[in-house]
Amino acid sequence: MIASFRAETLKARKRWANWILFGILMLTLLLFGYILSYVILKHPPRNFESPVPASVLIRAVFPENLLANVLSPTSTIGAAIMIILGGLSTASEFGWLTVQTILIQKPGRAAVLLGKLANLAVITFLVSVVALGSAALTSYLLVTIDGSSSSWPPVSVLLKGFGALWLELAVWTAFGMFLGIAFRSTAAAIGGGLTYLFVLEALIGQLLRETAGIKEVLRFLPGVNASAVNASFRLTFRSPNAGTQLVDATRGWIILMIYLVLFTILAIVIFQRRDVGGS
Amino acid sequence: MAQALAVETHGLTKRYRTGVLAVNDLDLRVRAGEVYGFLGPNGAGKTTTLRLLSGLLHPTSGTAMVAGASPGSPASLARMGAMVETPAFYPYLSGRDNLRVVARYAGVPKSRIEPVLKLVDLTDRARHKFKTYSTGMKQRLGVAAALLKGPDLLILDEPTSGLDPQGTMEMRALIKELKQGGRTVLLSSHLLNEVELTCDRVGVIAKGKLVAEGTVDELRARSGGRTLRIRATPLEQAQRSLESLLPEQVRVIDGSLILNVDHAQAASINRRLVSEGIDVSELRVDEQSLEDVFLQLTETPTLPSPATGGGEQR
Ligand SMILES: Nc1ncnc2c1ncn2[C@@H]1O[C@H](COP(=O)(O)OP(=O)(O)OP(=O)(O)O)[C@@H](O)[C@H]1O
Ligand SMILES: [Mg+2]
Repeated sequence: MIASFRAETLKARKRWANWILFGILMLTLLLFGYILSYVILKHPPRNFESPVPASVLIRAVFPENLLANVLSPTSTIGAAIMIILGGLSTASEFGWLTVQTILIQKPGRAAVLLGKLANLAVITFLVSVVALGSAALTSYLLVTIDGSSSSWPPVSVLLKGFGALWLELAVWTAFGMFLGIAFRSTAAAIGGGLTYLFVLEALIGQLLRETAGIKEVLRFLPGVNASAVNASFRLTFRSPNAGTQLVDATRGWIILMIYLVLFTILAIVIFQRRDVGGS
Repeated sequence: MAQALAVETHGLTKRYRTGVLAVNDLDLRVRAGEVYGFLGPNGAGKTTTLRLLSGLLHPTSGTAMVAGASPGSPASLARMGAMVETPAFYPYLSGRDNLRVVARYAGVPKSRIEPVLKLVDLTDRARHKFKTYSTGMKQRLGVAAALLKGPDLLILDEPTSGLDPQGTMEMRALIKELKQGGRTVLLSSHLLNEVELTCDRVGVIAKGKLVAEGTVDELRARSGGRTLRIRATPLEQAQRSLESLLPEQVRVIDGSLILNVDHAQAASINRRLVSEGIDVSELRVDEQSLEDVFLQLTETPTLPSPATGGGEQR
């Protein structure tokens, strides 16, 4: 497993696609989530209408709201990016047939996959650190420029928020990785993953969230549970579009962890049993 | 002579999910230290067999031992290197980085990389990306990767496919060199002169079954050894005449009649054809080529595409 972990890090580091995905994630987070939000709310257009005044909304980019503001895009753009990253990491091996080259080296199949998982765990950890760190830095700069005062959340909340970020990114990565192994095709894995995310979770999840029968099913979806966890990191003001959550945060944490384990085990089981270079 | 077996299979069988029986009750024995040629036409089941031996496929039934352990187990993989079907590498990495990745998986020190690059003559292009390589270079990188582990057993699926004459000769020399170094080589091919030049023993596979095994000379002897080759016009008339005289012994290859008969009969056969007004332009005794042996052993009714579903046994 160590051997395959070391090989995976080399492959991941030298792959441009990974850096591009990381770049998109950081750009969305810092540019849209922070800098543009600040600029727009600082100079709101004349027709700006909101139950909460812009001068209050702007506090979202200040240190006091670090976690809420970083976690909010995690369920959408963050999830999408991580599904792509995870999907690429496994599906490409089938597309390039390199899975065959790997499996005739020494490590067994489980070790090969665990090495991949360990590498993805490290990547999601690093992404979480960099995302949270750079967001913190940006919000510090913005509050300084603004001349307002703001305080950081307590350390315990910061740690918990970091844990939530890492867990959510890891769940989506594992989902992508699982899809890559199940479909053995980059297009199918990414297409399937994103369709699930944006059609099932986002669209149906929003439209039918109060429909009896469907509501009970929604309560088990990873995205719904992730939102519940995110919502527990409250903004310091009453956000106009904060809806009620279908599940409570504790349940959210547990379900997300179950998903992480489930995707991992499923991926290993499928990978172990399936023929390579045949069907 | 060491008679230890590098590869041994018993009743090895693989039926794909599509229903194609690609390998059928195969008993294969490759002795340690030899170069074994695994020979068969397209779709015969060569690649499938090599995939089974590398642990990439799970057999439908039967057992195998490869380098002293069951296929695909770490113990077996540690002692074998393989290139199956196509050299598969990361297109975005250089040749050298690809070998670094493989070395990390295999748990082999980095210091092995430069020597194998040199061995396959790829040092100059090692820093270029794999996707920029020509077919021959990809092939050589595949061999380099298979050699990284310094394996006792080397499995190469059509190692000369895509190589130019120069590259083919270098590959042959490399295989000889590996044998000299005490390694066992199992290579597949559908080219006869290939195995004739490099292999100690040959196994011929057709439709998933081993139809013959032995040294090249043994195989040649087995199927009659010498033949009579006759060029005559009109060909059909000559064929009919000879078939009535020697039923089941006459074949037409490349516009010549090939007869499996004692060459002492040459004079009387010639007389017969001439007396029937047939022109005989050539009549000679042929040492039967391996080519003929091969065609004879793997003879199938000509299918348009033997690679698609041809492995199914009646
Ligand atoms: N993944 C697969 N699924 C279904 N059938 C397959 C698969 N791979 C190979 N086959 C079938 O198995 C049979 C043997 O194929 P195989 O690739 O082993 O032949 P081969 O001897 O290597 O041929 P070639 O000389 O063309 O490489 C063929 O009939 C082929 O169509
Ligand atoms: Mg083949």
